[in-house]
Amino acid sequence: MIELRNVSKTYPNGTEAVKRVTVHIKPGEFVSLVGRSGTGKTTLVKMLVAEEKPTEGRIILGGWDITRIRTADIPMLRRQIGVVFQDFKLLPRKTVYENVAFALEVAGYGKKHIKDVVPQILALVGLEPKAKEFPDELSGGQQQRVSIARALAHRPKILIADEPTGNLDSINTREIVDLLLKINSFKTTVMLVTHNREVVNSLRKRVIAMEDGKIAYDEEKGRYVL
Amino acid sequence: MLFLSSRRILTFSWQHFWRNIWLSLVTITIIVLTLFSLTTLILVNAIADYAVNSVKDTVDVSLYFDNAISEEAIKTLKQELDKIEELKEVQYITPEEALEQFKETHKDDADIQSALAELDKNPLGGTLVLSAHAIEQYPAVMEKLKELKADSLAEKIDYNDHQKLIERINNFTAKLRTFVLALSLVFILVAILTVFNTIRMGIYIHRTEIGIMRLVGASNWFIRLPFVIEGLLYAVFGCLVFWLVLAIALHFTGDWVNSFLAGINFDIRAYLNKNVLNILGFEFIIVAVINMISAAFAMGKHLKV
Ligand SMILES: Nc1ncnc2c1ncn2[C@@H]1O[C@H](COP(=O)(O)OP(=O)(O)OP(=O)(O)O)[C@@H](O)[C@H]1O
Ligand SMILES: [Mg+2]
Repeated sequence: MIELRNVSKTYPNGTEAVKRVTVHIKPGEFVSLVGRSGTGKTTLVKMLVAEEKPTEGRIILGGWDITRIRTADIPMLRRQIGVVFQDFKLLPRKTVYENVAFALEVAGYGKKHIKDVVPQILALVGLEPKAKEFPDELSGGQQQRVSIARALAHRPKILIADEPTGNLDSINTREIVDLLLKINSFKTTVMLVTHNREVVNSLRKRVIAMEDGKIAYDEEKGRYVL
Repeated sequence: MLFLSSRRILTFSWQHFWRNIWLSLVTITIIVLTLFSLTTLILVNAIADYAVNSVKDTVDVSLYFDNAISEEAIKTLKQELDKIEELKEVQYITPEEALEQFKETHKDDADIQSALAELDKNPLGGTLVLSAHAIEQYPAVMEKLKELKADSLAEKIDYNDHQKLIERINNFTAKLRTFVLALSLVFILVAILTVFNTIRMGIYIHRTEIGIMRLVGASNWFIRLPFVIEGLLYAVFGCLVFWLVLAIALHFTGDWVNSFLAGINFDIRAYLNKNVLNILGFEFIIVAVINMISAAFAMGKHLKV
């Protein structure tokens, strides 16, 4: 599903953020990407959604080589990969429902389709009763669930979460991780980037650890040992 | 899907317009001032052309003959003159007609009237009045008159080309035109900068939204088009406001404005009524182009994916 071959990224200022990384993630897998701050995890995520282009190597997603993706094709790519971040990136003046619908509106979907799909996704993330509320009326965990719901609006095959629990307490963290597991159980490939040792160790799923832009280890049912 | 998208894009444009309402109003004001300047330029040109043309229409050459010269001789000359292709018309005025005209022009002058009454014989001879197709042709006509020895036959040749008057009109309007043109260019520049700034602000205000649109896979044109249309909205509102104000202003002050132009009989309302579509179309295109170019520049760097 996700294939990185010898991928390197050097930023224009000379920082070598990622160095010759080779990874293969199969469809339906749940992978945790861990590592200390500044080891290139976010850079890797950015290359997967074509926000940055690799300096070397190749990136193939579901058979699509996006290494030299054309600007015009980037929106198509982003509809096939859902991404969530630590800062939920919600629109404060839109309700929960509208925030999720927004992803479909900007892609040109009709009102009817939106009316069908959004409640389903809100039900999936357990936010149906909050549909009419605004983001600042919700807890951090609930806001992150809205953000996940929006990432799922296009029914992507891949969901990438870059430190989704960075701003949350342990109860909310647990809820978000459970939600990611639930999404994974529907065959969506999930990549969880995190610092949270407890979470990673409790998951008992594949762990890829990065150190200084390189892969330090990559283990099935791994643990966070760095 | 395209229809839906265009409706959503229009909604976005409208939101941009409203959320930034003060800057939008400033932008529209600048566009109205630009249109005022452009319209003044158009009017100055129209009035100058009109004035010069009405002067040019009165240009002619008159050949006055002594009353000793027979009508036959004058008519023979007229036949020759009719062959000159530069001439639009050669008009023969008989001595009797000339006298009538003379009496008519001086009918309020008692001295002349009494002097005329004492005459037992018409002192005036025949006259030929020549008018050319265009004012530039008169020098050629004068040449040909010499070739035909018309100048020796006629007692007096009167060529009033109003050159001085035309020059004065041209000099005055040329200066006015340059001034208004310079003013228009300044306004156009200010309009470009204002629209640029307004759209830049809009992009700044909506940066989070734009970031999210990109994140969820909105296409490039879906992100950019609202800003281009926002620019178009300024053009549309600018034109509407300006022409509304102009119509109202002329409704109340038109007679007063026309009184300045009474000397040349130019009716500003009639002129604008007749040409409103052309002028409005021309101005809308200019303003729309200004707005879209500024919008494109404002988006240039900031809206790349
Ligand atoms: N746009 C950029 N330009 C230049 N250098 C950058 C840029 N983005 C990141 N870097 C550098 O690249 C390196 C990797 O950064 P990255 O954000 O990928 O780390 P990270 O593993 O996500 O860290 P964290 O856990 O703190 O989020 C860092 O040294 C960072 O300073
Ligand atoms: Mg990071």
